[in-house]
Amino acid sequence: MNTRTVRIMATAAATVTVLSITIAVLVLLLASNSSAEQGAAVSGHGGHDGTVTAAADDSAGASHEDHASAMMGEEVSAPGGPNETDHFLNLPPAKPYQPGRVREFTLIAGEHDIEIADGLTFPAWTYSEPGKDASAPGPTLRVTEGDLVRITLKNEATQPHSIHAHGIHPSDQDGVLDMVEPGEEFTYEFTAGPSGVQPFHCHAMPLKKHISKGMYGTLIIDPKVPPPPADREMSMVMNSFDTNYDGENEVYAVNGRAFYYAKYPIQVKRGELNRIYLVNMTEHDPVNSFHIHGNFFDYHPIGFQNPSTNTDIVTQIQGDRGIIDLRFPTTGPFMFHAHQTEFGDLGWMGFFEVTE
Amino acid sequence: MTTPPTTTPTRFVDEDSTLDEHIDNLGAPRPSRRPPWVTFMIVAVPILLLGAITFVVASEGDRILNGFGHNPPAADELVVERVQFHPGEIEIEVVNPQAEAITPVMVVVDAAIVNTFDVEGGAREIDNRDSRTISFPYEWIEDDPYMIQIVSSTGVPTEVEVPAAVPAQSVTSRGLAWGALIGILVGFVPVALGLVWLPALRQLSQAALAGFLAFTAGLLAFLAVDAAAEAFETQAHLIPAIGGAGVVVMGIAVSMVALALVGRALRRSAEAVAGTTGGSAALTGGTLALLVAIGIGLHNLGEGLAIGSSFATGEASLAIALVIGFMIHNLTEGIGIAAPLARAGRRLHPMRGLALAALAGLPAVAGIWAGRYVAGPLFTTLCFAIAAGAALQVIIEIVRSLRSGNGPGFSSAHVQGGFAAGILVMWATGILAG
Repeated sequence: MNTRTVRIMATAAATVTVLSITIAVLVLLLASNSSAEQGAAVSGHGGHDGTVTAAADDSAGASHEDHASAMMGEEVSAPGGPNETDHFLNLPPAKPYQPGRVREFTLIAGEHDIEIADGLTFPAWTYSEPGKDASAPGPTLRVTEGDLVRITLKNEATQPHSIHAHGIHPSDQDGVLDMVEPGEEFTYEFTAGPSGVQPFHCHAMPLKKHISKGMYGTLIIDPKVPPPPADREMSMVMNSFDTNYDGENEVYAVNGRAFYYAKYPIQVKRGELNRIYLVNMTEHDPVNSFHIHGNFFDYHPIGFQNPSTNTDIVTQIQGDRGIIDLRFPTTGPFMFHAHQTEFGDLGWMGFFEVTE
Repeated sequence: MTTPPTTTPTRFVDEDSTLDEHIDNLGAPRPSRRPPWVTFMIVAVPILLLGAITFVVASEGDRILNGFGHNPPAADELVVERVQFHPGEIEIEVVNPQAEAITPVMVVVDAAIVNTFDVEGGAREIDNRDSRTISFPYEWIEDDPYMIQIVSSTGVPTEVEVPAAVPAQSVTSRGLAWGALIGILVGFVPVALGLVWLPALRQLSQAALAGFLAFTAGLLAFLAVDAAAEAFETQAHLIPAIGGAGVVVMGIAVSMVALALVGRALRRSAEAVAGTTGGSAALTGGTLALLVAIGIGLHNLGEGLAIGSSFATGEASLAIALVIGFMIHNLTEGIGIAAPLARAGRRLHPMRGLALAALAGLPAVAGIWAGRYVAGPLFTTLCFAIAAGAALQVIIEIVRSLRSGNGPGFSSAHVQGGFAAGILVMWATGILAG
């Protein structure tokens, strides 16, 4: 090896050394940076002097823990302000049976960005009533058994849609064979029955897409012979959102807003009878469930014509529904959620706040 | 159509001249016939025109694109640089590689939405090319795997899988020292030991020595493919906007060119001694050994990165058996450096031997440190690409050396067998390193 080669070799070895030292210095700098940040965060929390000690770390950890354990109230992240779902939580009273009565509704099929979780918007396909905000689920319609129901669907969306209501009706009112094209409208007409809670949804193909995009709502058909009166009636649709269209849901909810009733617990009175019309419109997952804490309820599948079971969990497959009669014997916050824990963790969880 | 076969201008390559001369000739100034400002204008006009056209395209972009077809919006996906587990808290370093701002609105850990999270700097919106740290309280369990999603306001999740939660470690002199020890064991020690075989190798016949040099080429071919595969694997963690595969190809190309220049410098210095010119002589002996050492060193930098980042991510519990596997694997690299020296019949001063071993082995230490404490996927991808390019370039130099030497022909059984043996031995010892 000549001297020049040796020189180059020495240079190369030096380069490697310098490289190693540079990386080491970089590493040290980064480390001191992050510990400085840690110190700043700690002093921000507890007014410490900024030095990082084991005790300071513990206090930061504890304050985080308090924050993380917030399951109810304003600390919870949920979309929208208070009382924004009251149309689902305070249903208008049932109309007594009256032969020959005609009930007319108009639903608009549209495309709207809706907030399904705090800050998370979903480009939904929706049913909405004229002049009212669009949401998924769509509106809860209430008729009485025997009413002649006319629902006009105005399609203001870009896809063909339909209304397929569960119940007994003629084939040509089933919303399956004929779609309402964009810009067109169609009036579905049928006599309401049988009584109970009936979902309605779009039946355009592909069905899965139209339902997961949000095209569903609740139709309550009150029986001719009224059931025992309830003090408070509400409708709840268990639903889900696949925000990246990979066939799996990112968000689960009841009435379309993740953790909404955890942030704004449903206010009920002790001893009063709450009647919940529960519908499962979850897409992708075959079943969903409703579980109440610290209490039991009577559950009538579909309607009061079916015998009830007394339980604290009800499981519904896609499209299934029923009526929950729920009375709280004691006051305090009571959680309700899907007992598929994953659904609960992804937004389908709320509280009843029971007061005197 | 006919081309006159005999009137080739002399400034083009003739059959005896080399590529280097060709390049030199291209660089030679030609007689100037125009005033400089005219030349300047000629150079400037296409640039000015391009600017004008770009302006029109930019302002009419939507119309052009929509005329051609609907252009879907970019997915609001972030790049995760690093996940750090602090007591009661998880920190995720992300970069927004998209053209538009992204607002993370939800963090989901193991399919459960976490109630609250902070984006460094307060505002949640992350601008284009901005790097931020997202942190949230979480009672994570050491060694447990975690699947974390950061969901954008448009519902697009950025997913990161953590094979096992490992407590974030600040850099300590202790950690650096142990890392250095592992690096020295894995890189420096085996290469140095392999060099000890040099006197024995020197006893071999010319044919066998050529075979050993080819063995080195085979070894490097294995390392090149290995590093390139690693580079392509890590680039998959980069967002497409960065052009991961392009980064790999660029890294390979840049390191090949850089090493070619180093080779050229070494060649020139050799020629200065031998009194020849042209910079075209094949590298032999010490200079080739040096180049091999550089190539292996860059590979060991990548190997160190892999070891270091496996500690950082908890990806592989690097058992001591694995370190031993790497050591045996890298012993072969020592032979790789010794082979060209042996072929040239050189002796090696122990200090120079140590320097070569350091050059080839110590980058593993730097790699381990960087991988453990700082390296993100981009850095790692580049390192592996550079390693692959370096190994390829050194193979080229070895092939040149084999062709020019006075040993057996390039297609001799020794050379071909040696090349195959190099690959085979690396593969076999590589199994030990998992």
